[in-house]
Amino acid sequence: MAALPFPKWRLRLSLDSDSTFPSPPQDGSRKRWRRTSGLPHSVAFLLTMAAAAASSSFLGLGPGSRDPATARRRSRGPRNRKKGWKRWAGPEARLGREIGDFLEDVALQQRATGGLIAEQPDEGLFFLDTGDAEKDRRLNKGREKPLHVDLVLQPDSKVPAPKNILAHQVPNGRKERRRREFWEKKAEKGVLPRAERRLRARLQRGGPPPHKTPEKGRSDPERGFYDIWAADNPLEQALVGQDGWFLQQTKKQRVKRPARLGTKPSQVPAVEVIAAGGSYNPTFEDHQALLLRAHEVEVRRKKAEDKVERQLRIPAGTQLPTAETVFQEQCEGLLEESGDEGDTDGDAVAPAEPQDGPVAAPRREKKTEQQRRREKEARALAAQQRREKAARCRRQQLFRLRSLRQQLRRWDEELLRRRQLRLAKRRAKDVLPRRLGPLKYEEPSLEVQLSDELAESLRTLKPEGSVLRDRFKSLQKRSLIEPRERAKFKRRYRQKYVEKRAFREVTL
Amino acid sequence: MGGLEKKKYERGSATNYITRNRARKKLQLSLPDFRRLCILKGIYPHEPKHKKKVNKGSTAPRTFYLLKDIKFLLHEPIVNKFREYKVFVRKLRKAYGKSEWSTVDRLKDNKPSYKLDHIVKERYPTFVDALRDLDDALSMCFLFSTFPRTGKCHVQTIQLCRRLAVEFMNYVIASRSLRKVFLSIKGIYYQAEVLGQPVTWITPYTFAHDHPTDVDYRVMATFTEFYTTLLGFVNFRLYQSLNLVYPPKIDGQTDTELKPAEGTEYAMDSESYLEKLSALSASLARVLAPAHEDEVEMDEFPVEGETAEQMDARKQEQEALEKHKQLFEGLRFFLNREVPREPLAFVIRCFGGQVSWDKSLCIGATYDVTDPSITHHIVDRPRVEPQVVGRYYLQPQWVFDSVNAKLCLPVADYFPGVLLPPHLSPFVTEQEGDYVPPEKLKLLALQRGENPDDESEEEDEEEEEEEDDDKEEEEDESEKEEEMKLKKMEEQKTQSNKALPVKVTAGKVRLEDKQRLEQEQQSEEKRLAIMMMKKREKYLYKKIMFGKKRKVREANKLAAKRKAHDTAVKEEKKKSKKARRA
Repeated sequence: MAALPFPKWRLRLSLDSDSTFPSPPQDGSRKRWRRTSGLPHSVAFLLTMAAAAASSSFLGLGPGSRDPATARRRSRGPRNRKKGWKRWAGPEARLGREIGDFLEDVALQQRATGGLIAEQPDEGLFFLDTGDAEKDRRLNKGREKPLHVDLVLQPDSKVPAPKNILAHQVPNGRKERRRREFWEKKAEKGVLPRAERRLRARLQRGGPPPHKTPEKGRSDPERGFYDIWAADNPLEQALVGQDGWFLQQTKKQRVKRPARLGTKPSQVPAVEVIAAGGSYNPTFEDHQALLLRAHEVEVRRKKAEDKVERQLRIPAGTQLPTAETVFQEQCEGLLEESGDEGDTDGDAVAPAEPQDGPVAAPRREKKTEQQRRREKEARALAAQQRREKAARCRRQQLFRLRSLRQQLRRWDEELLRRRQLRLAKRRAKDVLPRRLGPLKYEEPSLEVQLSDELAESLRTLKPEGSVLRDRFKSLQKRSLIEPRERAKFKRRYRQKYVEKRAFREVTL
Repeated sequence: MGGLEKKKYERGSATNYITRNRARKKLQLSLPDFRRLCILKGIYPHEPKHKKKVNKGSTAPRTFYLLKDIKFLLHEPIVNKFREYKVFVRKLRKAYGKSEWSTVDRLKDNKPSYKLDHIVKERYPTFVDALRDLDDALSMCFLFSTFPRTGKCHVQTIQLCRRLAVEFMNYVIASRSLRKVFLSIKGIYYQAEVLGQPVTWITPYTFAHDHPTDVDYRVMATFTEFYTTLLGFVNFRLYQSLNLVYPPKIDGQTDTELKPAEGTEYAMDSESYLEKLSALSASLARVLAPAHEDEVEMDEFPVEGETAEQMDARKQEQEALEKHKQLFEGLRFFLNREVPREPLAFVIRCFGGQVSWDKSLCIGATYDVTDPSITHHIVDRPRVEPQVVGRYYLQPQWVFDSVNAKLCLPVADYFPGVLLPPHLSPFVTEQEGDYVPPEKLKLLALQRGENPDDESEEEDEEEEEEEDDDKEEEEDESEKEEEMKLKKMEEQKTQSNKALPVKVTAGKVRLEDKQRLEQEQQSEEKRLAIMMMKKREKYLYKKIMFGKKRKVREANKLAAKRKAHDTAVKEEKKKSKKARRA
């Protein structure tokens, strides 16, 4: 019994009572003992745990204990599956689990109270409660309930942190000492370490090199500018007068920018001025025109939305599929086939005849010799006539010179027209944004103020839209950047929710 | 029949293009770095004509670049800097992890950085090229300069943008090159003519900024990084062209006056200078003191192939421009504290006016409210209680409208509390056959030097007040007149395309006959041509004609709508007047 970390009274109680936490010692006085409210909840929980553990009396030392070996063994599943050999079973396992539980329990007690609860004096666990507040205060002097803030600020574990070894010993101490000794020995001979030698050399040269003021960066608000388009700008001044071949080989010469990059991808102006209706105080007509445009956009959007809605809507009650229709649908092909077969069985005789095979083409009679001759003559005559006609036409063309010229001119005109059409098409395309990636360019929503939103004066004006978005969309519209979506943030691991004591207990 | 078999995708467009990922691998850069490089160097993705050919038979949507462009990028020295920076970050992270603070300091001192000067020179070989691309740069700098100094982008960038924007505004003031202003619901559009190039930019309203989430800030910051460099060099050159000191200095005398008196309570010494510059109230110092030269008229050399008429027109234009530049010359403005100070000060100073504001509002106020020489007091409140005699109290729109109309508009429409006339967009130019709102017509008449509408309207109003009975008749008459006018206009519009007005003068019968004959001939020919047209062409022609007709019809409709609107407004006014009287 002495090996057990629980006091006698607790054990006694736990053995015969069903109370969940230890009751105070019964010393006959009329004072009532209460659990120290200063202890955190976890301790209360712990106490119950301890009591429960005592009642179950691990290690088989309790009076009501049974030998674990004789305990009914839980039947395990078949061992041919992974699940079967996962569970660590057997008497040793049971023992091990129980020892583990015990050790865990001890560690929990130590964390919560700084030692085992069983070794705590009674005063550490309980205080006197006489029912009279004043009396209580007098009796329990010096052990008032601590403030919540203080409790919260206490470390979570009462087990003291391990000592910082580095505070007491120097890392690599022996090695360092030996090195020091080595260099001391060397110094006696007049040999100095490299760093020392360099410092002395610099001192002889005349102090440290003059500190260079760092050049101002490209976004420094105080940075300077110069005339970059002048002939003697500092950018190219350094390269002036040097051999071109040398510069090229040493890669100091800048590569010439291809002329192709001089043209912009789109002809849209950089700053597109808003329509006249976007004035803060527009004329009636301009405002109406702008409203109409916005309205059209909205109608188009609504239409698209409605279409999707309509397609996704559940059909009305009469059109809803019933069990019958579902069954019919499922047997669609099967039933028909069988029906057809039945039909064909019924009147199989009639349509069998024409499906006998491809109808043979009517056979031609063989031509006679005379027919062949005549045909040949006719062909020769036709050819002759054609030749003659062509020759005649050629002769006539001399007199058709004017009309021919006109024809040529017309043809040229036609070509010109086509070229212009092509050009116009290309130019119209220049204004449109290009397709540069998976996403299409989307027009930003039209900035417009309704009639009742319009400001009376400049002071009451509420600006609409954002210039930043306008600029961004303009860049996209001019195909300078590809339209894209913001990358979605993906978490690599799932987040674990931990409730910290300090936050949990603060509830208002 | 010999030779090797031709393999697919080994020649032609498949070899001219490269996908983005392959380009990135070729350059050994991460995607953000690759993006940055492309933006800085001005290399944009390309849409191939035959995507399937380029994509080796696959139809997956990809971003393509021209292979030659990527090869050009390989020569860029900045690519190496990007790689160095990557290594630097790695080293720094390691040093932080090991808590080696001395290493951290050393690494930070040697942080690799790059400059974009050579790219500016490369992309814009001449100054004019740079001026043509200034729209974007200005819009971006003005936008970034309004950003709050929070973590969205580097504070240094914002400060640099502010500095460059202020410098540019000061240049525009000094050169008087502003031409148009438009207050829209989105922001304020400006147009200036810098060395003959029209430059348009947009500035957001102050404090109107919300950060949209669907915008890639990194991309925008990269663009801005390049544009700040560009704008800096452009500013330098522009200041040089006007013989101004760069970085700008406030003119000597005012500088000494300002320094001891004020500035300390507004900003720190380091910042007060920029603040004073951005107040836009002081003129800038010049390299050489401007010698008061007499206005010497330039000798004019006629350009070849230019008739006298054209020269005259040009001269007139020049004169109008000069007059426009000195629109507010000699006027003294005072801005009340509720009006937007910066745009107003900028616009007024651009046209030679003097401007001041309350001392507690901003640094750089030059005179007080009580100054008797103030001619225009800009107010944006329904009513002003103590009014000083001898100055106009006006709403801010007057300034902008006057600038757009190129003349000081009559002040009566802009008194505080008065319903303002609409603010027209100066960027809209009506073509023939388009609908022109009556406000614009009035403005055009004013510009021509006529002033008929005003008087008649005033008379109308007086009469309206005098006699109730005659009013309706009069209105009917006026309406009829208007209708007649509209009809005439419509007729003119519709006819202007078809027939020229024919005049009959004595003694020139033959000539006229000729003309008429010619006309007839022409119309006949036209009709015949229409008849002879191919089906396709005829369809196109009909479409065009239909479009024209529709335009006219729409214009007419709009006019009718406007009339209805006007009458409704008038009726309401009348009713309210009656109610007031009763």
